[in-house]
Parts: sequence; C-alpha cells; structure tokens
Amino acid sequence: MTGLYLGFDTSAAHCAAALLWVRPEGSRTAVVAEPMAKGQAERLLPMIEGLMAAQGVTFADLAAVCVGTGPGNFTGIRIAVSLARGMALSLNVPAIGVTGFDAARQAAGLAQPHWALIDAPRGQVYAQKFGPDATPPQIVPTETAFDAPVVRWSDLAADAIAVAVAQAGARLARDPQPRPAPFYLRSADAAPPSDPPPAILP
Amino acid sequence: MGKTLTFLGIESSCDDTAAAVVDSTGRILSSEVEGQVVLHAAFGGVVPEIAARAHAERLDHVVERALATAGVGLRDLDGIAVTAGPGLIGGVLSGVMLARGLAAGTGLPLIGVNHLAGHALTPRLTDGLDFPYLMLLVSGGHCQFLIVEDVDRFRRVGGTIDDAPGEAFDKTAKLLGLPQPGGPAVEAEARAGDPRRFAFPRPLLDREGCDLSFSGLKTALLRARDAVMANAGGLRLQDRRDLCAGFQAAVADVLAEKTRRALSLYLELSPARAVCAVAGGVAANQALRARLETVCQALDVQFLAPPLRLCTDNAAMIAWAGLERFRAGLVDPADLVARPRWPLDATAPVLIGSGKKGAKG
Repeated sequence: MTGLYLGFDTSAAHCAAALLWVRPEGSRTAVVAEPMAKGQAERLLPMIEGLMAAQGVTFADLAAVCVGTGPGNFTGIRIAVSLARGMALSLNVPAIGVTGFDAARQAAGLAQPHWALIDAPRGQVYAQKFGPDATPPQIVPTETAFDAPVVRWSDLAADAIAVAVAQAGARLARDPQPRPAPFYLRSADAAPPSDPPPAILP
Repeated sequence: MGKTLTFLGIESSCDDTAAAVVDSTGRILSSEVEGQVVLHAAFGGVVPEIAARAHAERLDHVVERALATAGVGLRDLDGIAVTAGPGLIGGVLSGVMLARGLAAGTGLPLIGVNHLAGHALTPRLTDGLDFPYLMLLVSGGHCQFLIVEDVDRFRRVGGTIDDAPGEAFDKTAKLLGLPQPGGPAVEAEARAGDPRRFAFPRPLLDREGCDLSFSGLKTALLRARDAVMANAGGLRLQDRRDLCAGFQAAVADVLAEKTRRALSLYLELSPARAVCAVAGGVAANQALRARLETVCQALDVQFLAPPLRLCTDNAAMIAWAGLERFRAGLVDPADLVARPRWPLDATAPVLIGSGKKGAKG
C-alpha cells in the first residue's frame, strides 16, 4: 500500500527506527539505529522524532506504525509495542505487529523454504519454518539440525531489522491486522506457592 | 482561576490498569480501573511479569474506554499524566511508553507523576483541602505518614521498615486459607472473633517515632496458627476467627498509636484547619478506620477518607496530580523516566529493610 510507514524495534540490545516510503515509482528508506543494552524507553521516541525531522516528515504523514513484537527481551518488546499502540491511538492509523521471524524472512527475501531463527536464552533458539511445510514459532535447542536453509535474525544489523519491520508491516497493512501484542513465545516464570493452605475444620 | 483544564491520567504501577479524565475543577469525567485479581490468584501474590503482560495489552483499551465514558477526544484534552513510578517496572514502562505515543501524536504536554503523590494529593481532588495536611497511606505496597506541604513538597515522618499492612493482611489470609485480596476476608472473619485470645506483638510500639513494622506480626500469626492446628489436626473455624481478630487488633493498635504521634508532629505546624486523610486499600477496613477516627477526634483533627474507589489505585488521582503539577509549572521531562523506586521525600532517612537500592517509595 502506498504511503509512509514507520518501523521500529527494541527487542534485543539495540534501538532502531526506519521510515519507508512506498510509492508507485519505487520505495525509499531512511533509518537510524544504535546498539543499546538499556535506556531504550528514554531513547526510542527522541530517536524516531529525530529521524522524522531529518527527513522533513511529521507524525501526521504516517500511514501506519509498524513494530517488532519479538520474541526477544520481554521488557524491550513491551516498550516498543506500548509506544506503537499509543501512537496508533493518537494518530488514528493502524499499528502493525511484525514478529522477528517475519522480519528475518523479509530481510532475507527468500522464496524457497527456510527457517527463521532468533537467539533465545539458555542454549535455545526461537525457530519458525516458512514454505510449503511451514511450522508455527517454537523453541528448540541450539544444536537442532534444520531441514532447510536458515536465516538468523540475530545476525542482522539493527538498521536492517528496523527496515524489515517497516517493509513487512507495509505488506501486512494491506489487510486489517489485530493490535500489535508482544510475542513472548515463553510463558511468564511464575510458580504457584509451595505451602498448601491449612485444612479447615468446623 | 483561568480556563478549565482537562487531563487524561494513566496508571499501571501494580495490578490495576487504569485511565481517567479529570478537569481542573475536580470533576471526574471518567475513571476506568481494570483489575488483575484473577490472573494472579493461583500464585498467592502479584507476579510482576504476569502484571506487565496484562498492562501492555490492556492499557490502550482502557484509555479508549475512559475517553468514551467522558465523552471527550484526545484533542479535547489539555494534557496527559502518567505514573512513572514507584512500582513494578514492567507495568510502569508500558504506561509511560503508551503515554509518550499519545503525546507524540497529539502534541499534548505529558507529565510524569509519582504514584504516591497521586494518593497524597487525592484529598485536594475530593475535598479541596488546603496545605498542610497529614496523609496516612496504607496499601498493599506502601505504608507511610506524609505531611503534605505543597504540590511537590511531602515530608515523610514515618513509615514501615518492612511489610506494608495490606501485604500482611494478604499473607494472613493465605496462611489461614482465606481468599485474596486478604483485607476484606480477614476483616469479615475478625468480626466474629475474640481479639484478646491470642497475644500478638505490637511491633515498634515501644520505640519513639512513627516508623512501623509488620513482618514480625506475620511470623507470630504463623506460629499461633501452627500451635492451634497441632492440637486440632487442622484449622478450626473459630480459631481462624480469633486469629483474624487478634491480628487485626494488633495492626489497629500500632496504626492508631503511630498516627497519634504523626498527628502531634503535624499539629506543631499549627494548621488553620487540621486534617488527617487516609488513602490505600487498607483504609477500607472499618475497624481500622474507626480507631483512626477516634485518635483524630481526641486531638480535634478532622478525619478524611476519600471514597474507596479513589483510595485504591486509580488514574483519576494521577490525572489530578498531573493537573496540579502542570498548573504549578512543575513540568520536567526527567519525571518521565520510569523507575521502580521513587521516594516522595528525598530528604527523609532511608528506612531499614528497604534494600541496598534505597527506599522504594
């Protein structure tokens, strides 16, 4: 869909934002990215505003806001998703969630079947296969043998991730999308209390 | 007075997702609160990651409801206020980021509000109180006495050195097989119990000052429970009622005496109209409230308890605190940095037991 798309991602140790102009005569991007282990919450919006000012565009010019939803750092993906939802509400434009798998696939531009992989903690990797025998996203050990070429999201540069988020989002925006939600793939670490309640007697 | 200002408030620092629209005359146009009791019920307490996940996906919906109920659009507002701490950082971050997005798209001023300041300024929203007044904040996460001197001047004269009373009520309920939240359940049981049967400690009552402690009381309750259960092979209903009554009486005694001491410090300021206000969920406990009223009456101080929906976590208080700060010209981008710890009174000594990172609030 033609228009100006904003994409951003803070799902790993970076802060990255891209603008994507989709026009009949061709597309153009502008991007800004920094490695960042913490402080994304303070940096993300000023970085986006700086990028937009440098390109002479305003929030009112946006057709949609595209956001990387993970899987990745839980706090990082909530930071980006929450900002995207706030922007969408105030600008009355759609917010589009793009998983790391979709971003990796977009960045690789692969037509043949392949696995998109994202580094996960504790010797594991998040994996999703695209192609005729596609799989849902899953968590597998790092030593897993994959039955198709692999695309590693974690090897992408942060600026390439932001661009891929904007591009994949622009593609998804052709159809109505649900509000972006963090894509955790791992459940919250929480255990029920170990001490049972007392037996109650009359 | 100038033009009437209208603010949106956003709150997500614990287990309530809240949004409200309030104007500068003190009119609450809407106040939406979506709780998470069901989500945390199986875990015997609020699980930070579960709370954060819920806030991230609920906040914008709750804001939309608050605007719709108030019958205003974002562009009818004069500003947005959001809780930036203290609290569970995941939820606070989601609230701050959503608010940043709302402000970026509308160009509205954005004010970061201290959650405790929201509670502490509520009596001005509900009753137009003048400074200074004494504030007793008693909730699941906090317990402190504040002399509220101005919009941004809070003198902390005492507080808990360990657990908050609301937390103690919840843990008591858990130990006695009662449902969460524990406050109402323990209070209901206590009504039919004998408060004199178990001799529970009154922690720190023998020490000077207004600091409180509740963790020893919790341990004493566990010991008393185990003792009666060892005899009976389980917990008898009447034993449970008596344990609840004894526990509640101990909390009431401590809060009453410490409130009396905080009031005498406050009265040294010779306020034109002496008022003691309460906030926090524990303020809903009728037995505790009656004791506090008695203490206030004896010192000729007005006792003020805002309606419960404005005592517990809500966003109307955040919108109001934002309005007060905005009108006073207290707008600082640094206030928007989400933080788990943010003491209202930076000059008060750090409390024992508040951890190596300092006082949480």
